[in-house]
Amino acid sequence: MNRTSTILRIAVLLGAVSFFALPFLASAYFGFTLPGRGFTFEPLMRLATGRSAFWDQLGRTLLLALCTAVVGSALLTSTLLWLHLRARKLLPIAEGLSVLPFVVPPVALVMGANLFFRSIYPGFLTHLLSLVPFYVIITMPLMYRALDSGMLALDLRTLVDAGKSLGARRLRILIQILLPNLAPAMIASSLICVAMVLGEFVMASLLLHNTFPVFLAQAGQDNPRAAAALAFLTMVGTWLLLAAVARTLHTPRRPQ
Amino acid sequence: MTETRHARRRSELLPALGAAPYFVFVGVFLLLPIAVNLLTSVRTPDGVFTLEPLLRLGEEQYRSAFWNSTQLSVVTTVIGGALGLLLAWALATTQRPAWLRDGVLSFTTVASQSGGIPLAFAFVALLGTQGLLTTAIAELTGWNLAETFRLSSFTGLTVVYLYFQIPLMAVLMLPALSGLRTEWQEAAASLGAGRARYLKDIALPILTPATAGALLLLFANAFSAYATAYALAGGGANLVPILVGFFVSGNVMMDYSFGAALSTGMIAVITVAMVLRWLLTRRTTRWMQ
Repeated sequence: MNRTSTILRIAVLLGAVSFFALPFLASAYFGFTLPGRGFTFEPLMRLATGRSAFWDQLGRTLLLALCTAVVGSALLTSTLLWLHLRARKLLPIAEGLSVLPFVVPPVALVMGANLFFRSIYPGFLTHLLSLVPFYVIITMPLMYRALDSGMLALDLRTLVDAGKSLGARRLRILIQILLPNLAPAMIASSLICVAMVLGEFVMASLLLHNTFPVFLAQAGQDNPRAAAALAFLTMVGTWLLLAAVARTLHTPRRPQ
Repeated sequence: MTETRHARRRSELLPALGAAPYFVFVGVFLLLPIAVNLLTSVRTPDGVFTLEPLLRLGEEQYRSAFWNSTQLSVVTTVIGGALGLLLAWALATTQRPAWLRDGVLSFTTVASQSGGIPLAFAFVALLGTQGLLTTAIAELTGWNLAETFRLSSFTGLTVVYLYFQIPLMAVLMLPALSGLRTEWQEAAASLGAGRARYLKDIALPILTPATAGALLLLFANAFSAYATAYALAGGGANLVPILVGFFVSGNVMMDYSFGAALSTGMIAVITVAMVLRWLLTRRTTRWMQ
């Protein structure tokens, strides 16, 4: 490789880093300083203490993230195991359905859900946890892929046959062989799911549920410095979650 | 006879039964809502078939919303696509310094998934009226950026959208670019082809479907983005997702059919982009084994 192209490549990488880092740095600086005071937690503290809805709304979002990860993992892991072992013919259909949420923007899904459930069960959408199934739907394309590739890498049939030949029953094969081997894929897909739910704003705000992103949006109207601080913490948190996903998937595993 | 037929039918039914919870779940929470949305957009409140709501999409305000959304998506796709391709090339071909490459790669992956409210406020902290860069420029040169540049304007939204469009393009193109074998370039060189000829006759044709597919995904991504635009421009942005949001949240929920028609139009645009992408990537995967 010649020198000019090396210099150009380094320049591109440095340029990218600066562009990606600037909003991070700006939100940290703007959020954690006050004019003439230097570094301070004051804007953030004012937002999080007193009669603030902060903890309530953060708690709601964490509850939603947990429920979505649990429901999504249970539904997709059991379905995919079943399809891989018993009904391979149905795999293409299931996979086709799993990417469908890519075509339906969340705002359009809210519109449809609103029309549909208003006509059959009007009270449903007023429950906070009614968001869970829709969050499972919007996180499904990524979760499905993470779990599916985890299963493809395993050679499930051999594992099951090996377990059977050693005299293990189905439940034991599931609990002692399949699930431990699938754990990295399940953890990774759950983390992706949590990262997405922590940032989900459209459905929660339009269905009038006060979750953490809704709180953040409101805070931005009244208190831009505190909002910047929270935005910074949220972005760093999401980064850590996604870094954990990459770690879980790339750590070499010993067969169990 | 009937015994075996029964047995066979049961052996076909059982597999489907195990997958039933998944299909029912997707049916209730995704397919039925979409179906009801599509139906509502072609029916009057009394249930008579009509194209009137869909035709109203042609009215001035709504046509301009579709036009604005399309423009914003195309501009951020073209700029984001070009810069993202450049970034992917730099990432794919740089070996050293490894810390720089790995650092940028990690940043790229995270930024491609960013967006929404936090990103909007991070940009307010950077380029808003009291933003870090705005005040820094004002102190250094005395020129007030905020007078000519607003984050809620078309240019402002473009800059913020590029923050996730560029890295998304890079992430999507990285596998295809890493798939270009050095042997191909050597083979071409041994047959007398120069760098330009190699690019034109080998690299470009192989990369074209993947690139086009990635661009279509970027377009769909920008077209359906709601939270970022909402946080920066509030109700001020005349974009399709924002309008659909108005209809859902009840500000103008008098007219169910028309709200549904808007949402149908939006789904239609994105479906076209994604079907095209599917057709194109089917061709790429044959090459990229």
